[in-house]
Amino acid sequence: MGKKIGSERLGDLYQPGKKVRKRREWRGVKDTLYDYSRWLHTMGILGKFMLNKNNVKAFFRYRWMLNFLAVPMMVDRHTAGLRGNHLRIAHTEYDLVVEDVAKLMANMFRADKNTGNDREFSKKLVILDENEMSHLLCGFPNLIGVGREIPAVYVSVLLQQDAVCHYIDVAQEYGLSGDVCPMPEAEAGVSIDDDYPIFGACALQCNTTCDGSLMGNGVIARRLEKEHGIPCFQLAAPIRHTEDGVQEYAAQEIRNAIKFIEDCTGEKWDWDAYFECAKRFNAETRERMEWLQMSTTEYPQVIGANLALYTETVYMAIGGKVPAFLKADKKITKLAMDSFRKKEMIVPEYRHRAIIWGVQAQYYTDFLPWLQNCWGILPLVDMLSMVSTRMISEDDPKQAIYDMAHLYENMIMRNRTHGGYKVLLNDLWGFCQQFHADMVILWEHMSCKALDGMHGLFEEQAREHGIRLIWAVHDLMDPRVVPRASLRQDVNRYMRSVLREEPLDPSLEEIDDADSW
Amino acid sequence: MKKRVVKIVKIISIIAAVFFVISFTVYFFNLDMKLTAAIEPYLEKWHDKVKRERKL
Repeated sequence: MGKKIGSERLGDLYQPGKKVRKRREWRGVKDTLYDYSRWLHTMGILGKFMLNKNNVKAFFRYRWMLNFLAVPMMVDRHTAGLRGNHLRIAHTEYDLVVEDVAKLMANMFRADKNTGNDREFSKKLVILDENEMSHLLCGFPNLIGVGREIPAVYVSVLLQQDAVCHYIDVAQEYGLSGDVCPMPEAEAGVSIDDDYPIFGACALQCNTTCDGSLMGNGVIARRLEKEHGIPCFQLAAPIRHTEDGVQEYAAQEIRNAIKFIEDCTGEKWDWDAYFECAKRFNAETRERMEWLQMSTTEYPQVIGANLALYTETVYMAIGGKVPAFLKADKKITKLAMDSFRKKEMIVPEYRHRAIIWGVQAQYYTDFLPWLQNCWGILPLVDMLSMVSTRMISEDDPKQAIYDMAHLYENMIMRNRTHGGYKVLLNDLWGFCQQFHADMVILWEHMSCKALDGMHGLFEEQAREHGIRLIWAVHDLMDPRVVPRASLRQDVNRYMRSVLREEPLDPSLEEIDDADSW
Repeated sequence: MKKRVVKIVKIISIIAAVFFVISFTVYFFNLDMKLTAAIEPYLEKWHDKVKRERKL
């Protein structure tokens, strides 16, 4: 317990068989008071949220809303062990993410037929897929893009590990395959269970990540169109997205999607509004590139799960639309530069520099803080953060269509799981070289066939490149199939038996969090 | 007038101090999460009873 990094035995805070920790971390007076102030801020957002009658109604209508009881604990899990600027960087990220999700849900429940039922407002909303860029809405300043699956499924599992098990079971009760990816399965399950808010002028779906996504989208689109009369558009971005031959087709899909939104809402595409967002999007990309550049040095500052979750929000959900995110980006860069100059470290010892590759276990995103706190494995960057850094046009409408096509082809996860072995397999070794990594932690999402098919090739090439490769097997959103302890065991075994190392924090090596949120 | 201001400042300080002590105790001992973890099972039972039109 104290202000020094690594001074607290973090494993002692766990309570076997319980959902929550014994107490919060003592980080020294200054950092504890700072953390307390951010906790107050989070409680303020939650309190304000619950003052709205639509939101209260939603809390008692939608089962997945219960997961949001765990918001403060989610922030605690992702700030474990942090001190000083690194704690401030993490809170800058999470403050904004929490605010943004609260705003998204408030909009949903205002328009939702089951809660606020504001029909005029509902006409201004466009439903988006969970794993989809929201960039197309930049050109429609009077419309709001809303991903219903973001709070219902994606964020829910971040908050509570078993958040969507109920919906996975519902989908399987209705005959959907049990070995499909749990994310689209849960998304389809929410639809079958009649647990999505109902609103919107139209819905824009995308062939985001896999055949599982297409399955889920089919089930959801049918109910949206047949039952609620909400038209759906399927934006089919090309699979081999790095090839020149597919770009004209990809651009045409963007034009078709714009036309679809115009027809459904009566709004007209606004290039001025789009380019304003494009400028901000480029500025955000430049900030992210600064952070990545720092991670190539001996003193990385913005790394791991927090970088991944924040990038997902900024790159996919915000896409340059909200000025507050660029402001936060600049603040993060300032804090990071300060720490970089002072050569500050995130954990007491950096034993291994790791690239995190593959699709993360959504029910255990704080596995990355565990890696750094328990074993001194620094999760420099992960696959989900390695998205496009290409500057997009800020004034040319013709080029902008191709830029948008590029972004939709290169959405998070999709940019690696689609596009062939070069983007999934070959690029990894280039990143190892760029970031001076000696280790790869490879998430093996057992239901993701696109990744599993490369298992042998990853092993063969890791040997060729002299990279230590640790598999972390999981089932994305279903901890009943692979519990969190099993993921840790994958690493513990390798560190003990292959590398013969001792943990930095032995209290974290074996912990009982099977029942924890 | 001065007395009045001092009195108001005193009251505000006492309220702020009491708020800090209570909220910091809740924060540090994770009482907020312990409470929500305790009430969640009852809310789950509520949701089991909510009428939904379950279909494909």
